[in-house]
Amino acid sequence: MPKIIARTGDDAVAEAMRQINPDVVVAYPITPQTEIVQFFSEFVAQGRVKTEFICPESEHSAMSACIGASAAGGRVMTATSSQGLAYMWELLYIASSYRLPIVMPVVNRALSGPINIHCDHSDTMGARDSGWIQIFSENVQESYDNTIQAIRIAEHKDVLLPVMVTLDGFIISHAMERFEMLDDEVVQRFTGEYKPEYSLLDKEHPITYGPLQLFDYYMEQKRQQHEVMKSVAGIVLEVAKDFEKISKRKYGLFEEYKMDDAELGIVVLGSSAGTAKTVVDMLRKEGVRAGLLKIRVFRPFPAAEIASSLSHLKAIAVLDRSDTFGGLGGPVFEEICGALFNYQFPDGCRIPVVNYIYGLGGRDINLDHIKKVYMDLAEIVQTGKIKELVQYLGVRE
Amino acid sequence: MANIKELSKKPELLTGGHRLCAGCGAPIVIRQVLAATKTPVVIANATGCVEVSTTIYPYTAWNCSWIHVAFENAAAVIAGVETMYRSLKKQGKISDEYRFIAFGGDGGTYDIGIQALSGMLERGHQCLYVCYNNEAYMNCLSNSSLIMTKDGLKKITEIKKGEEIYAFDQKTYDLVLKKCTGIFDNGVKKVYELETLHHSIKATGNHPFLVLKRNGRGKENEFIWKTLEEIKPGDEIVTLKNLDEGESFKFKFRKVKKGNYKVAHLNEIDLPEISSPDLMKYLGIYVGDGWIRNEKGEVGFALPENSKEREIFLQLHSKIFGKKIRKDKNYVYINSVNLANFIESLGFNKGAKNKIIPSWVFTLPKEEREAFIEGLMLSDGYKIKNSFRYVSASKDLLRTLRLLLQITDYRVGKIHQQKKEKGAKCVQRELLKDSTYGYICFSKRREWNIRKYSNQYKYQNFLIGNKYFETEKVKSIKLIGEEPTLDLRVEDEHNFIADGIVVHNTGIQRSGATPKGADTTTSPVGKSATIGKMQERKDLTAICAAHNVPYVAQASPAYWNDLVTKVEKALNCGGPSFINILAPCHRGWRYNPEDTIQIARLAVQTCIWPLYEVENGKYKITYRPKEKKPVIEWFRSQGRFRHLFKPENAAILEEIQNKVDADWEKLQKLESL
Repeated sequence: MPKIIARTGDDAVAEAMRQINPDVVVAYPITPQTEIVQFFSEFVAQGRVKTEFICPESEHSAMSACIGASAAGGRVMTATSSQGLAYMWELLYIASSYRLPIVMPVVNRALSGPINIHCDHSDTMGARDSGWIQIFSENVQESYDNTIQAIRIAEHKDVLLPVMVTLDGFIISHAMERFEMLDDEVVQRFTGEYKPEYSLLDKEHPITYGPLQLFDYYMEQKRQQHEVMKSVAGIVLEVAKDFEKISKRKYGLFEEYKMDDAELGIVVLGSSAGTAKTVVDMLRKEGVRAGLLKIRVFRPFPAAEIASSLSHLKAIAVLDRSDTFGGLGGPVFEEICGALFNYQFPDGCRIPVVNYIYGLGGRDINLDHIKKVYMDLAEIVQTGKIKELVQYLGVRE
Repeated sequence: MANIKELSKKPELLTGGHRLCAGCGAPIVIRQVLAATKTPVVIANATGCVEVSTTIYPYTAWNCSWIHVAFENAAAVIAGVETMYRSLKKQGKISDEYRFIAFGGDGGTYDIGIQALSGMLERGHQCLYVCYNNEAYMNCLSNSSLIMTKDGLKKITEIKKGEEIYAFDQKTYDLVLKKCTGIFDNGVKKVYELETLHHSIKATGNHPFLVLKRNGRGKENEFIWKTLEEIKPGDEIVTLKNLDEGESFKFKFRKVKKGNYKVAHLNEIDLPEISSPDLMKYLGIYVGDGWIRNEKGEVGFALPENSKEREIFLQLHSKIFGKKIRKDKNYVYINSVNLANFIESLGFNKGAKNKIIPSWVFTLPKEEREAFIEGLMLSDGYKIKNSFRYVSASKDLLRTLRLLLQITDYRVGKIHQQKKEKGAKCVQRELLKDSTYGYICFSKRREWNIRKYSNQYKYQNFLIGNKYFETEKVKSIKLIGEEPTLDLRVEDEHNFIADGIVVHNTGIQRSGATPKGADTTTSPVGKSATIGKMQERKDLTAICAAHNVPYVAQASPAYWNDLVTKVEKALNCGGPSFINILAPCHRGWRYNPEDTIQIARLAVQTCIWPLYEVENGKYKITYRPKEKKPVIEWFRSQGRFRHLFKPENAAILEEIQNKVDADWEKLQKLESL
């Protein structure tokens, strides 16, 4: 029977890791991920897991060792945040191009400079081209559920790509919430055993990982990676269906909240979705047809499906918790605009889409901020004019 | 002990078909290492020659499992593989014995790779890290640098061993003279230009400068050596502001005698035997306005009629030489073979673009230097309000003049460039064609009332009150490209004054205020470089031994039995191990490809690369050359050490021999512990 307990996000993720029981974990501590490593190392010390756990001297070495361990044919996990993710940046690309199913919870924290330990999505967004699958969580329950599903997604023989499961720093990682923990055996049966096709430790079939590929082969390799990303969405839904059977919780590529008859919609990722849902309810009571789209799988970006979901709205606001500093707006805004442009309904109506960059470095976003966004959208619908395409929300101008 | 017959029967794990150079030491090393393995192995390889040449997709030369990830992390990767092995073994999923080996070149191991290596050694993974060792580097100055010596300002290329050079005494902050003990040609390197308000110098990024470190209120400030790369604009460096009072220069000129068949007509002329303010003023005018035509025995000056300059000049001429002068509207001429030859011998050079200030001018008493400057100003200089400007087409002249002015109580700005068209006025004359000129602005140095405001001034300029030196703020540092570079070695203080700035000599990267005698290291220099311990390179074998791992060793492919035995010991020591193996590179070291093993043997026989092991902390020399060969044979065997055989570098070779002998002694003492 699933247990109902109160845990913080880091704690819940550590419990998920314990239940998954990977063969090797190589992790370096960084706030706000530290507790994940701390709690997990306690499980190791108590003998509750079979995991070989190494404390490397840096995140760069952590991911290097993860790559070595995964290539040696076992289940590998690690975790990091912000600067740690940035430090292992060159290896993220290598891990995905070597098709190694490493699962890594990333506790979203702002990238330095200036140094800041609180939540924003700049770290994960900075890695969006690395070839990793990126799954965002809204709360403690989702963080736990996503981590478990990530194992099945990564190790699926048609995927074999590393997955990062994100949870907002401090907001989810350090805040205690009610959450339902599945039974150990249930999780074990769900994740199953990892049977790698290739392994460095297969002496009958020696293998070379990481050869030099010059201009005559490199592009084909990348083409294959490009192709693999296309099959991920289907497998994510498959795994979610299986997961529903054991947990009674539904997951998809994104979540539509009161979107059926909505006119004004917001697109958001992470914990702010929870806040936004409350605002939607409030506005609905006042008669405003507000709706919300919460993206769960950011990479690969489900462009067609999202465009379809947004196509009936009268105005859309995209909330970004990071900036591209020179791009069209925030990263999610760029993706949404691209999706709508390409998959727009044939009657060609152009829906006004605006961008709000919020919550950088842990700046709080509350009900009033989100209400303002909806009010702005209403104004756009009324006047037909966009005052400002990209704005910062909640900043002292 | 390995039997070569058995070893040769083992299947090759690194097969043929790879693209490494014929004669490369690395694959020889790798094959010998792998020949020592008795179990299945997994190899992690750092980015480098071996990795790139053995796995060009879709081919691989490796007949065992092999993984390459990045440049700096081979040790971390193999640690990950080893950990997975332990985990799976514990779970009963694997029962075979495996061994784990990481291969890294010395680049990916010594510097960028040292973090991962250290972590792997510290955590106790059962992995062997093999460093195949073939490289290193040095620091230096551009070969156009001007050095302050006892005989005046000279180009760094003109300095000879044994010459006395000015240096900065780091204890007394005094100006001292020290012997130059060597000059090193470091080849073409990437060079930066560092500029202060009054000085500029070109050097490589790793060249150390003397920088003031301010420790805050109430605390003592101190000087530290910082490399150019570490220096930021605003840092204060030490520059020269004054030289000792010199002496009038005695000329060693021999007149052409009457009756010499080469000269048709000899005009008698009195030539001075020693310099004087009048002569220096005369020569100053010569630099700007004069020229020599040896074939005609003629010295000419461009001094227009009725100008102040001509008046002064004529007075000087009659005073010094007392000879007749031909005059016309714009020029004056003296027909004298001896005068022409005399002026030529002084070293000012000929031609507007080539004139320089010869070194001996810097050794003159202040009065004479001032007179020289006055002469210069009369020719191509002019006054603008409170400052002076000197114009010249010769860049070298401006560079040397700038330094001369700095030590003669003037403050000078940077060298400016100016393009002027034909016909434009330049110093009261019309230009005959389009020209590019340079000019400098300078003014008299103002003396501070340091007695009244001593602390305040001391804060602004730490060396205020010092007779010879002062500090200046760095204005900018720019990368300017590649240039041939040189460096000097100076005894005791180990610094010298280049382009007016105090810089460190070659070899010692970062020694602060090095106490005398503490510096016994030598640094043979090559365009590429040398090996392991000979350089200022860290002793990586010792660093690994300091991690207290069960096994650390040094080996050479010329002694395959020793190497194979060491690898076996390492793989079975039950913990982390490290072996540093010499891997000669004939391209970099310049020798014939077929001589790789011979070179690898010579390194051991000269004790440059001793073969030893450290087993659980106990040192043991595993090979003692029957006949210890002199290091000169090692240097003679490779093209990269060619410059060490210049006569001026003889002492370097001696120093290196001493160092090698000292290290060998030290190793033997360690063995006896």
